[in-house]
Amino acid sequence: MSSASEPVVGSSRSLLAAKRHRTVRKNSRRIYSAYRDHQQGSSDEEGGDDKEVDSNDPEEMFQNIQYQKEIIANIRSRPWPMRRKLKVLKQAREIVLKYEGQLTRTRGYQTAGADLLKKLYRVLYNIVVTFIPWEVRIKKIESHFGSGVASYFIFLRWLFGINIVLTIMTGSFVVLPELLAGAPFGTTRSKTIPKEHLASAQDLDTIWSLGGYLQYSVLFYGYYGSVRKIGSAGYRLPLAYFLVGMAVFAYSFIILLRKMAKNSRLSLASASDENFTFCWRVFCAWDYLIGNPEAAECKGAAIVNNIREAIVEEQEKKKDTSLAVLISLRILANILVLLSLAGSIYIIYFVVDRSQKLEQEKPELTLWEKNEVSVVVSLITMIAPSAFELVAQLEMYHPRTSLRFQLARVLVLYLGNLYSLIIALLDKVNSMSSAPHVSSSNWTNTSSTISSLSAQVSRISVSEHHNSTMATISTAINFIHNRSSLITASNQTIPFEKNARSQQDQCWETYVGQEMLKLSIIDMIFTVASILLIDFIRGLVVRYLSDCCCWDLESKFPEYGEFKIAENVLHLIYNQGMIWMGAFFSPCLPAFNVLKLIGLMYLRSWAVLTCNVPHQQVFRASRSNNFYLAMLLFMLFLCMLPTIFAIVRYRPSEHCGPFSGQEKIYDIISDTVASDFPLWFSKVMSYVTSPVVVLPAVLLLFMLIYYLQAIARSLKFTNNQLRIQLQTERTEDKKKVFQMAAARLQVPEASADKNPDQQESDIPNQEASIHTSSPQQNGSITNVQSPINRSNSIRTISQSASGADLNEGCVSGSVRSPAVIILPKHQVEHLPNRPQHFIGGRSGSCRSKSCHHMAYNPPSDLSNAIHTDPLYRKTIRSLHPVEAAGIIAAQNYGGHCGPTTRYVIVNEHRPRKKLLCSTTRIPRHYLMEEPREILELYPRNIKHYTPRTIHQQHPPRSHTSQQLRKEEEETGKDRKRTSLGKSLRPCSLPDHHQQAHFYIGERLDSFRESQRARYEMQEDDEEEAGKEGIDWGDFNLPSPSQTSVKEKESSHTQRQPVHSPRRQYQSPTRTRHMGSQLKPKLRGQLETHLTESDSASIASSSDQQNSSTDQYIHVIHSKERHLGSDVRQEKMSKKKSKTNFDLNYTESNDLICSNV
Amino acid sequence: MGNKQTIFTDEQLDAYQDCTFFTRKEILRLHSRYHELAPHLVPMDYTNEPDCKLPLALIVDMPELKENPFRNRIVESFSEDGMGNLSFNEFVDMFSVLSEMAPRELKAIYAFKIYDYNVDNYLCKEDLEKTLNKLTKEELTPEEVELVCEKAIEEADLDGDNKLSYADFENMITRAPDFLSTFHIRI
Repeated sequence: MSSASEPVVGSSRSLLAAKRHRTVRKNSRRIYSAYRDHQQGSSDEEGGDDKEVDSNDPEEMFQNIQYQKEIIANIRSRPWPMRRKLKVLKQAREIVLKYEGQLTRTRGYQTAGADLLKKLYRVLYNIVVTFIPWEVRIKKIESHFGSGVASYFIFLRWLFGINIVLTIMTGSFVVLPELLAGAPFGTTRSKTIPKEHLASAQDLDTIWSLGGYLQYSVLFYGYYGSVRKIGSAGYRLPLAYFLVGMAVFAYSFIILLRKMAKNSRLSLASASDENFTFCWRVFCAWDYLIGNPEAAECKGAAIVNNIREAIVEEQEKKKDTSLAVLISLRILANILVLLSLAGSIYIIYFVVDRSQKLEQEKPELTLWEKNEVSVVVSLITMIAPSAFELVAQLEMYHPRTSLRFQLARVLVLYLGNLYSLIIALLDKVNSMSSAPHVSSSNWTNTSSTISSLSAQVSRISVSEHHNSTMATISTAINFIHNRSSLITASNQTIPFEKNARSQQDQCWETYVGQEMLKLSIIDMIFTVASILLIDFIRGLVVRYLSDCCCWDLESKFPEYGEFKIAENVLHLIYNQGMIWMGAFFSPCLPAFNVLKLIGLMYLRSWAVLTCNVPHQQVFRASRSNNFYLAMLLFMLFLCMLPTIFAIVRYRPSEHCGPFSGQEKIYDIISDTVASDFPLWFSKVMSYVTSPVVVLPAVLLLFMLIYYLQAIARSLKFTNNQLRIQLQTERTEDKKKVFQMAAARLQVPEASADKNPDQQESDIPNQEASIHTSSPQQNGSITNVQSPINRSNSIRTISQSASGADLNEGCVSGSVRSPAVIILPKHQVEHLPNRPQHFIGGRSGSCRSKSCHHMAYNPPSDLSNAIHTDPLYRKTIRSLHPVEAAGIIAAQNYGGHCGPTTRYVIVNEHRPRKKLLCSTTRIPRHYLMEEPREILELYPRNIKHYTPRTIHQQHPPRSHTSQQLRKEEEETGKDRKRTSLGKSLRPCSLPDHHQQAHFYIGERLDSFRESQRARYEMQEDDEEEAGKEGIDWGDFNLPSPSQTSVKEKESSHTQRQPVHSPRRQYQSPTRTRHMGSQLKPKLRGQLETHLTESDSASIASSSDQQNSSTDQYIHVIHSKERHLGSDVRQEKMSKKKSKTNFDLNYTESNDLICSNV
Repeated sequence: MGNKQTIFTDEQLDAYQDCTFFTRKEILRLHSRYHELAPHLVPMDYTNEPDCKLPLALIVDMPELKENPFRNRIVESFSEDGMGNLSFNEFVDMFSVLSEMAPRELKAIYAFKIYDYNVDNYLCKEDLEKTLNKLTKEELTPEEVELVCEKAIEEADLDGDNKLSYADFENMITRAPDFLSTFHIRI
């Protein structure tokens, strides 16, 4: 690595380095202009560093250092190769290190301190990272199943983290102090097991139902002493208990909200309603985490499905399934779901009620009877989701929608379960505690008989409260009625508690805590069982019994268990909800949950890796992240409610727990404030809590919320506006590009109008050189007017070139690649003439490549041109077959047809189609004009040119049947021409084709005659001479009409008749120029050299009267000019030279004759 | 190897940590992974920055990349020579960009590079076709591929040149909801 050898020291070093950077930058193709600019800027500044530093201006130095620091800070986010990053970093660091101390001493210290801090932070971070659990395990799962499944485990780990914090909070502030400083076991009444239970306290089923010793332990609320201050330090345990209980919720809220905020910041997508369905499906479909062949296969299949789905959706946005059936099905499904929800809630309530009755009636309960509540709840949570899934199939929603519905239903189910459980529990608590007195009153009802007026009041308020909370859960209405009435009943009993309490050992808080813990344990057992049964055993069965079963177990019925991310995440949320609900009554619940989550983590990951297959429906991981969190937040809120309700509404148990003897649990705060704080504080508190403060505060909050919401709305609005603006700007940019292109097209046209002669001379020249279509004229003219100095010089050059070519060609004869040999020579020949044009030129060897490149550079312009000028397109089209043929025929071909390559560009947009249509089109052209001539058309052209350009006969391989026929016809000729022809074939193709155009297009009668004569002359030399000439003449007759049809440039064609007979020679070129008029324009768009050619043409047009000679000369001239800046000059020059060569070689005699 | 052999100097580790999103431990692990690929080629001692490059074939064989349909392109676009030979620096760079911590912009740049098969700075139809065929293991019919490519270009092409420039791509990819979560490789 060269970076190892940083050569020079000091300032010169960095200068050098900067230079090297620059060169490196140049060498390595920097792709993104934005970044290129950035780098350029940075490198410049790097280069300038030393000067700045040397200037010793502290301010500059400071800025420089700041800049370098910025580099250091951001370097990891730059898209540079690592080597560069390292180098730049080293350099920046050195500069900072070197000059920072020079600035001021304090700054030096500051930076030293900052460095130290940074290092410390980094070390800490490195240490912390090592403590993130299950990193490898999750990574492994990710690599097997992708990010979706992994998101479950990451979520689990996150919950695990939360639970750890909760455990630490409760453990260190509640459990540990109680254990260390609280009254030991057995000292007080709340901490001893009653005598009648002592015998069975160690029985397994007692322990199992969390009774006995467990009941009287730190696990539950009842164990904690109510002594205000414990231990020598006077630790206020009850206060701590209350505060920690609240802190659990507060912490959960804060951490959840923070996580959600972070997530939403990360996902920019939520703000936009733009839809890149296909793009996302292509570019974001693959999960780079996947490293398992099976998962990869699955993912591949899923992607294919996804894309197909999108295609189908695109093709038919609306399916016409019978709407009525669908709606009725959905209604049915929803009814089913509601029924099952109501049923589950009823069952839970019924079970709780039954167990309560059983407890009262029977002294000894069986194991089942003790646990049936938890078991039933767990069973419901297990079974109901699957039932919902079945129901969801009725609805025929889009998979994603159905998943949403499913999740919502399951969430409602879980919540309903938890709520009905806790409500039934509270109810049971009350009835249980007041059993001796009012057990009958619970069910005999009638508040009027027993309860006092105050009880009635409380009942109303309570029922109202409950109704409101239940409304949020939206459970079945009948249930609400049922329950609220029951709650009223239970609340009626509260007043009686006071009286009935005296003998009661029972502690309802402990009871609730017990139930929650029991539920959690049972849930864990069921989870384990379900994993083992549903996933593991099923997996085993499927794997090992599939051989001896009549159907394919793996793909049909049992299959492998899918890992249902959504359901599993919901289950986690449900589990967490239980913890939150019970945490206040059982401080050790978070600790238990930590254990549970650890177990779940290992079991789940094991099950996933061994016997699960990924879910078929891809659930978007990132988008769902916040969805999970939102559900968790919802859960937290709803789980907090019962606890808060119990704290606020119920009276704590008389004889157990830290709040025994108090009227309300929260009284502990006011007590503490009153007794332990100075007087002023309690006064302040009383003011603060009085309505005078609270009401305005609430109002203020509301106002704040409203204000923030308004701001958010306006921000959203501006956001939208900006996006729209951005879009319009982009489209405007697009338009601008088009306009610019159009303007460039306009300019040449205008100039053409101004001095048409010039233009004519200009363009036809190009044409001529491009397509050797006018060799006769050109040739003849050159010969006649050779004395003209300009033409002379150029011609001589070209002649020499062509001479060389000729020799080469003749010598090489049948050798396949004479053209290649010839080419460099041409370049050499032409180079001295137009060195400036060759700057950009490429070597002949990579001709085809450069051609390809060109094709990519100006596509927009070309397409513009095509759009703006249908005529031009036509010509292009007609050229296509030639192109195609050329491409197939010879690789050189592309190089030969300089301007025609541009047409290839057009092709490249839709290569196949256009080529096809172009090939088919040409015949149509001719068909329209002269149906009968079709067959003869090509041959004739070819024969025309055969005398001149021998290579022309090469049949374009890809041509249509006509051309094939032509090929057949010319086999004889071919044989003759093979020597030269093969080598030169490529260029001949466009030539002869273009000629077809040209001749068809504009033949004046006189011209035709002369031409015919000429042709005859030529053809005398050839084998097929006479016949062809006659054909040609016939063919020429209808040409005027063709002119109009094909060229459509009336202005030019009109001018033709006006021409003097002499200029008639020009006319073909001119018409050609019409066809090709757009070419220079195109070129003009790309390069400025058009002006050069213009000036050249002006020069040449000074002797316009000399006519075509000039023009011909000029042709070469301007041609070269034009192409000079193109990458393909060589090709052009080569071709041109070939034309010259053709002219010189074959035509000279004939043409002179004809001209005369 | 078991004992405290210095693979990198502290300075180097610091520099790597500055230049990447990795911790010290991860960089060491990366080195060991790199070393594992070709134990006889890669020296254990990197303090003097040996010049050593591993060919594409070796790197592509890593389990992290093995199943990735774009593995060759990934490696190629991170190699300075464009042929897929990775030095350790480039190796680290690759996984840094693909790590969880890398910002969206950086990932987008390299994603663009990866999908740009012919390295012409545009995602043209051919690139899309190639991407799609790799992605679907050529299970789609040519017509479907054609349709999807056309649609994709239509959706994302802002300047109407029938191919996606980086700006188009970035605009599209930054809105993709799961680009960040899927365009990363853990190592």
